[in-house]
Amino acid sequence: MRQKDDKIGISLNINENKEYMEKRLGMDVSFDLGFREVIILKRKVHVYYLTGLCDSIIIQDLLKELVNLNDHETNSRKLPEIVENRLLHQQVDRAKTMDESVDQMLSGLIVVFIDGEKFSFIVDVRHYPGRTPEEPDTERVIRGSRDGYTENIIENTALTRRRLRDARLRHEMLKVGERSKTDVCLSYVKDIADEGLIHLIKKKIEEIEIDGISMADKTIEEFIIERKWNPYPLVRYTERPDVAANHLLEGHVLILVDTSPSAIILPTTFFHHLQHAEEYRQAPAIGTFVRWIRFLAILASMYLLPLWLLFVLDPTILPKALTFIGPNEEGNIPIMLQIVMAIIGIEFLRMAAIHTPTPLSTSMGLIAAVLIGQIAIDVGMFTPEVILYVSISAIGSYVTPSYELSVANKVVNILLVIITGFLGAVGFVIGVSLHLIYLVNLKSIKTPYLWPFLPFNPRAMLQIIFRIPVPYSNSRPSIVHPKNNYRQPKGKK
Amino acid sequence: MSDNKQLDQNKREEPLTLLSRSAITGFVGGVFWGLLATLLAYFNFTEVAPKAYVLRSWTTASWTNGWLGTVITILILGGISILVAFIYYLFMRKINTMWMGVAYGAILWGIVFFVLEPIFTNIKPIRELNQETIVTTICLYVLYGTFIGYSLSYDYHDKVMKAKNEKNMQA
Repeated sequence: MRQKDDKIGISLNINENKEYMEKRLGMDVSFDLGFREVIILKRKVHVYYLTGLCDSIIIQDLLKELVNLNDHETNSRKLPEIVENRLLHQQVDRAKTMDESVDQMLSGLIVVFIDGEKFSFIVDVRHYPGRTPEEPDTERVIRGSRDGYTENIIENTALTRRRLRDARLRHEMLKVGERSKTDVCLSYVKDIADEGLIHLIKKKIEEIEIDGISMADKTIEEFIIERKWNPYPLVRYTERPDVAANHLLEGHVLILVDTSPSAIILPTTFFHHLQHAEEYRQAPAIGTFVRWIRFLAILASMYLLPLWLLFVLDPTILPKALTFIGPNEEGNIPIMLQIVMAIIGIEFLRMAAIHTPTPLSTSMGLIAAVLIGQIAIDVGMFTPEVILYVSISAIGSYVTPSYELSVANKVVNILLVIITGFLGAVGFVIGVSLHLIYLVNLKSIKTPYLWPFLPFNPRAMLQIIFRIPVPYSNSRPSIVHPKNNYRQPKGKK
Repeated sequence: MSDNKQLDQNKREEPLTLLSRSAITGFVGGVFWGLLATLLAYFNFTEVAPKAYVLRSWTTASWTNGWLGTVITILILGGISILVAFIYYLFMRKINTMWMGVAYGAILWGIVFFVLEPIFTNIKPIRELNQETIVTTICLYVLYGTFIGYSLSYDYHDKVMKAKNEKNMQA
């Protein structure tokens, strides 16, 4: 962050301070800035606050306490000490410069100036408007805790802390944004997380020079990752504090950004996007089953359509037992175009579903089902099989736990359909290989994206394929380079 | 954090040696890509199945046609791949880039399809193979080479980095 050379100190003359505040903040223009002058022991005391972020009852109580001083105290030379003593709040600090006072006031704190003193008191009474923790929409579980992060960073760190009472859990506050001054919190467990990783992330966050980050975590992510144009999600978001706490214990670093209910988990691999809290709420065997089905669905969302298109284009490659695959009549439009059109139609629906107000969504669903389902077939636009396979592929992408990954997979899916449509089997094989090599080549904060599949790590791969019972999974994943490797010190052989 | 030293958590288990890990990587790589190749051959992406090389080139017994032949083929492929991994480990593990693995796969393809061609008399010479077969086998070999090569290079590099970090911490 740039340092201003003209750090203006607080003037001994309180009227100069007032003039400065009026000019800098435009007190006469902005209506949400509050100011009150009281006389205590014949000295002027000025109180500044932000009307929206401070509770008015607290401000009244403070003022009452201050004015009452006139009745009980006489020594006006000791006024600062008396005032500090009587500011009845657990968090009272002193600020030395006008800059700091202004910053603090704009974050919702009360600033108190006293005539003839070179400092101001900062009282942390802020109360941000916000909601109470709710279960996040994207990561629902059938059993387990229902609280999720909110837009308030203080509450979010508290939700994490409630699950990890470790004295070594660190919540490091940073500020980003020359104008917005947004709070960004770096969370990690000090004796587990890799120090090099923490330094790297901190350096990258501190290097950010921007006026404001209204899109919060997403903007931070774009500054941190190296490949700006890559469609695949290189960080994992979570809104569940239990998932976050679990990753902290594994040695990951978390970034929380004020005003966003999602925490960023670093470093992330492809396989982080395939896991879901639900698996860990079920018996390990069931969790494994759930996971395999999900892998199948995700594979289908990527490769089913191009593969089927290939079978349609070139039925000779089908083994004898499977020759029934393929449409009985091809319809009027080439199959490749039909598939692309159907995919685009489903994308229309998906996007509409996000924006449609609830009262209209029923009619939208009706239109969608009738239009895409039946009429498109009746008028000869689609063959029924196209709709079957496109639907399976679409459901597969909804099964993907990470929304970002499902969208990226969809893009790849369309590209594969097109290349297969033009080049046949050769196109399909080359397309899939290039896709794989592209993924292998991706790196998220120096971490290979397809780890532990490629580069291969037997132990970690086992953890991906099976949902191993917690008592048997003793070591932390090596990809985060944990400083100590054991999760169950007494439990190991 | 002086009390940290006493924590049991800080003891490290002897990690698998790099060599045994390369053996595992090689075996798994052979089995996985062998299975994929068999599957692709089943769907006629390629005319030459792994079975043709591993079994049919020296025996035409009837069991080689069934599932037993496939299983044995895959296991033998795993065994051969351990050797392939050791060769990479000996000569190329210090090259820390996945592209070396890609090249390794391509080289292996060249060796199998050109140099060793006279050995496999049951397989058509490369000029008579169709386009799909050539493309599919090249892609398979490249991915297989990447799997083995990149894994070994990454493991080696990771270990070197870790040793360096530990030295720095002590210093």
